[in-house]
Amino acid sequence: MAESYAHPEALVSADWVQEHLDDPKVRVVESDEDILLYDLGHVPGAVRIDWQGDLQDQIVRDYINPEKFAELCSRSGIAPDTTVVFYGDKSNWWACYAFWAFTLFGHERCKVMNGGRKLWMDQKRPTSTEVPSYPPTKYHVAGDREPQIRAFRDEVLAHLKAKRPLIDVRSPKEFTGEMLHMEDYPQEGSLRGGHIPGAKNVPWSRAVNEDGTFKSAAELRAIFEQEAGLKPADDVIAYCRIGERSSLTWFVLTYLLGYSHVRNYDGSWTEWGNLVRVPIATGA
Amino acid sequence: MPAALDAIVAELSESDRQERIDLLIDFARNLPPLPDRLAAHKDAGHRVEECQSPVYLFVELVGDRAALYADAPMEAPTVRGFVSLLLEGLNGSTVEEILEVPNDLVARCGLQEVLGMLRVRGLAGVLRRIKAEVTRAAMGQAQPQAAAGPPPGPAAGP
Repeated sequence: MAESYAHPEALVSADWVQEHLDDPKVRVVESDEDILLYDLGHVPGAVRIDWQGDLQDQIVRDYINPEKFAELCSRSGIAPDTTVVFYGDKSNWWACYAFWAFTLFGHERCKVMNGGRKLWMDQKRPTSTEVPSYPPTKYHVAGDREPQIRAFRDEVLAHLKAKRPLIDVRSPKEFTGEMLHMEDYPQEGSLRGGHIPGAKNVPWSRAVNEDGTFKSAAELRAIFEQEAGLKPADDVIAYCRIGERSSLTWFVLTYLLGYSHVRNYDGSWTEWGNLVRVPIATGA
Repeated sequence: MPAALDAIVAELSESDRQERIDLLIDFARNLPPLPDRLAAHKDAGHRVEECQSPVYLFVELVGDRAALYADAPMEAPTVRGFVSLLLEGLNGSTVEEILEVPNDLVARCGLQEVLGMLRVRGLAGVLRRIKAEVTRAAMGQAQPQAAAGPPPGPAAGP
């Protein structure tokens, strides 16, 4: 029998979502890169959470504070015991990013819909353009998981000095330093190109199939363990350029492979490539 | 700026956020399909590489007027909507009119506010690409023996 995911409950199928559309204990959340997609039609009853407008502080480069997060949940009809199912475009990048942000604030019941928005649409499942409204909930922020799942630059520096594993999930040309940005995203720049010394390059996209679903546990282990040399007990930091692609890798390592200590460095290359007095490496 | 584009910019800039989103979606829905003779030429030479989504652009000149065609996937409605808006606003304009379109068109339409700073550069790239292609087509017309080889894409019209 094929090996199953370490925490299979964190991933649900489109069938599961369709069966729970009217379940008051389940709130479906769409998080996309292209924010117009939600308006074109979404999973009926799904609310939109925008990674920039809703989850990020507009002044400080950081996430919103716990009070703002509680407001966001309250107006989205999310109570502390609501199961939140994230889905979105681009193989669930932003869905994983929102999942990670919810986890920062200690929201326990989070799931990703396997295959994301594309699979739902490809299978011609029901959609709606109606923006739902839910009675506001009483939301109180459960806790602070930040130390467990988020890395800051000084921790990354300590990590690299201790020669602990770092996974760079950007494209190979960004990793080598040939390009300062992902193709077509020239604005998210850094002064220098390359990677954090010691980091292994495992582009995020290797974890997903063509149809946007995640690869099997065995396939993922072959990539992260046989190729990149990680072990489930490792203390791992993943990064990309602004922390969005690496939240997908964080999800894969934590929930699909069961790694116990994975942090996302959301400062990522936009911070590291501009940081004074830190080393970089170039080349493959 | 061509009058048609001017009218679109005015309408967008006077709208609120949700109206802008709705307008852009209408544009995305109304992008005309590529003519068959162009659909076979969706290749790297016609791809707008600034856009992360596959956007293909074809510029032809009929006399001194531009005929623009494009294709962009419905799964990327922002870029498809913007491309459609540009086509509607610029088709039939002269080369000079197109070159004079302000480069900060995205901001003038109020789209930066809707889309956030980070993801709008690709859109500006579409306008840059239209200007470059129009210039190239105009030069090709003026110098049919140009050393750059055959003009990109299929020959223009009859």
